Amino acid sequence: MNDPRLVIDFCGLRFDTPLVLLSGCVGFGAEYTRVKGFSNRDAGALCLKGTTLEPRLGNPPHRICETASGMLNAIGLQNPGVDHVVEQILPTLDFTETRFIANVSGTTVEEYYEVTRRFDDSPIDAIEINISCPNVKAGGVAFGNDRKLSAQVVAACRAATTKPLITKLSPNQTDIAANARACLEAGSDAFAVINTLMGMAIDSEARTPVIGNNQGGLSGPAIKPIALLKVHQVYQVCREHGVPIIGQGGVAGAEDALEFLITGASAVGIGTALFYDPLLLPAVNQGICAYLDRHGLINVGQLTGSLRLHPSPIDSAEDTCPERARPGTAVPKH
Amino acid sequence: MTPSRRERGSNEEMGHNQPLYANHLKIYHYQHGNHFLAAMSSVVESICTGIFLEDAEILKQEACAGDQFLLCLKAPECARYARPGSFVHLQCDPRLPMRRPLSLMRASPRDNRIELLYKAVGKGTRLLALRQPGERISLLGPIGRPFQPHPEHPRPLLIGGGVGIPPMIFLADALRSDRRFRPFAVLGSEVPFPFQPRPSQYLVPGLPPQVIAAMPLLDDWGIPNRLTSLSDFPGCFRGYVTDLARKWLEGLDKSARAEVEVFACGPHAMLEAVATLARELGLPCQVSLEEFMACAVGGCAGCVVQVRTKQGPAMQRVCVDGPIFDACAIFG
Ligand SMILES: Cc1cc2nc3c(=O)[nH]c(=O)nc-3n(C[C@H](O)[C@H](O)[C@H](O)COP(=O)(O)OP(=O)(O)OC[C@H]3O[C@@H](n4cnc5c(N)ncnc54)[C@H](O)[C@@H]3O)c2cc1C
Ligand SMILES: Cc1cc2nc3c(=O)[nH]c(=O)nc-3n(C[C@H](O)[C@H](O)[C@H](O)COP(=O)(O)O)c2cc1C
Ligand code: FES
Repeated sequence: MNDPRLVIDFCGLRFDTPLVLLSGCVGFGAEYTRVKGFSNRDAGALCLKGTTLEPRLGNPPHRICETASGMLNAIGLQNPGVDHVVEQILPTLDFTETRFIANVSGTTVEEYYEVTRRFDDSPIDAIEINISCPNVKAGGVAFGNDRKLSAQVVAACRAATTKPLITKLSPNQTDIAANARACLEAGSDAFAVINTLMGMAIDSEARTPVIGNNQGGLSGPAIKPIALLKVHQVYQVCREHGVPIIGQGGVAGAEDALEFLITGASAVGIGTALFYDPLLLPAVNQGICAYLDRHGLINVGQLTGSLRLHPSPIDSAEDTCPERARPGTAVPKH
Repeated sequence: MTPSRRERGSNEEMGHNQPLYANHLKIYHYQHGNHFLAAMSSVVESICTGIFLEDAEILKQEACAGDQFLLCLKAPECARYARPGSFVHLQCDPRLPMRRPLSLMRASPRDNRIELLYKAVGKGTRLLALRQPGERISLLGPIGRPFQPHPEHPRPLLIGGGVGIPPMIFLADALRSDRRFRPFAVLGSEVPFPFQPRPSQYLVPGLPPQVIAAMPLLDDWGIPNRLTSLSDFPGCFRGYVTDLARKWLEGLDKSARAEVEVFACGPHAMLEAVATLARELGLPCQVSLEEFMACAVGGCAGCVVQVRTKQGPAMQRVCVDGPIFDACAIFG
């Protein structure tokens, strides 16, 4: 993709387009290039599969299943370990194609530190911290669900690298904005919003969960409204600091991408939608350009946070005016 | 030992006339994908062709017995590069968020056609069955490492169960034009077969004399074959595919039996039984596996199965490391 209207600066990195291929959906960067017509160059950046210190076999099957307008996954971070990624895979990547972002995962703060340190000493362009991993020292509760633990992980990673650090926030918590603030103070340069929402699917005949891991992360169009709200909430924290957000969750076309940009994202992630349409990137890029033309804008960055809110508050997940939610009462027009 | 045979390849309904795997394709070594698992496994050299996204026109959709459907699609790139064991990842219906994997039964590069045989078992395949000729279906393919027959084993034994039959037809189609191979096929089904069985023109030693029903297409191709079912279908062997396969194997003398290589596709329990039989007789065996799939190009690691390797257990992707696996690695 070569259109100056789409170029953005993301933490000092040049993204040729605001589109980012999401972690866990595009392997280690080479898999989708086997699809004729697919090019990593159509994305501004590509996040590699979540990487841990040691190799991991991951979860037993079934690892994925279809749900209404989306899917569940519980891959269990299958990966060959950070040393293999740095020594064997990164040298095979063509860094002129796009920006490659590592996705760091761990079960202890120390592991996050160590994996980040090893990526720091590599050609990788940026590091994304997947804080949605279970914390083995705290009974398996995800780091990302707790503000203090999230900040601890970010601080550890910050100490291990000078590369741009992106914290991938979990939607599985009550106050994502407070979490973002804590991570910002701990040194995060940017945010990815949101990771998957935990869910379950049941095989009623067998009376078992469909997913081998019993539960999994929900992604795809089903989560888009939630993702938009979370981006909106995190943007309120980021705006004044000029901290960029990679908005994600259910993007399947240009219209979705525009919605995330307008809400406050500087870049937009695409994951699950690729499984349905592997050649979707060029159309999304073109759709964004067409919108810019139509609205007389010269760069996609002008869209970020251009949302014009209605006068009523929507910052809370709940309706803040209970009387309005009551059935039978007239909903005031804005 | 070998049954009398007619001239091979007389039935050219789809114009297959090429030597095995002669798809002058751009085969390249699949390097990067292996890294995904390399630390945990010694993935045998993976060979892959490119994968194409095609808007395939439905040429024919034919309902067969037992909720089975024969689907013919116009998909030139897929037809050109497909090999026995390859599959496609289909958008059954725009209302569904995910694609569905289906094996190729036949591919004709000359006519730009591919044929699939599927059973309507759930949401996706039922919606697929409603699609009409003239409509278009997005497909991704061909995908997967194919069956690899070895000329050192010139007697391939093809075993297909239910909707595991399609890849066996494709393999048979490839083998029939390669004179080095003398295949025999056993096809099993618990619902009526998706074709009209007829008495075989081949005598096959070792089999009960009343077991004469065969698949006409394979028979016409010069490939002796027999049908099995637990249901009482006329002329079919009453029992499991492995029971009949065993009878055939026991009818071969020792040196002929050593020339057998087993290829199987079907329900997991059937594959396990086939693998056990092959192991007992010391025969090499390749099986085609199924698992839920998201991307089908190796990107998500959603479709893995546990495989035994020299380095210990590994998780390999059915979509690109398979779907064909060495039975020993799966069933130990
Ligand atoms: C490589 C490969 C080749 C196949 N070839 C054939 C074939 O030639 N003919 C045929 O009839 N069937 C074949 N199958 C099985 C076929 O993919 C499933 O029957 C189909 O996906 C079921 O979808 P559904 O929506 O109708 O069923 P549902 O049960 O509603 O499916 C729900 C979800 O589970 C997945 N799923 C359910 N069963 C299977 C399964 N056995 N394998 C993979 N995913 C499954 C579906 O894809 C879907 O995402 C093949 C599977 C694989 C992996
Ligand atoms: C199969 C699969 C695997 C994933 N693996 C990871 C991972 O390893 N690390 C991570 O941070 N996110 C992972 N994710 C989450 C995605 O990167 C993304 O945040 C999420 O799916 C929402 O976007 P989408 O709806 O466009 O897919 C995974 C998602 C899927 C569907
Ligand atoms: S389905 Fe994604 S790796 Fe096989």
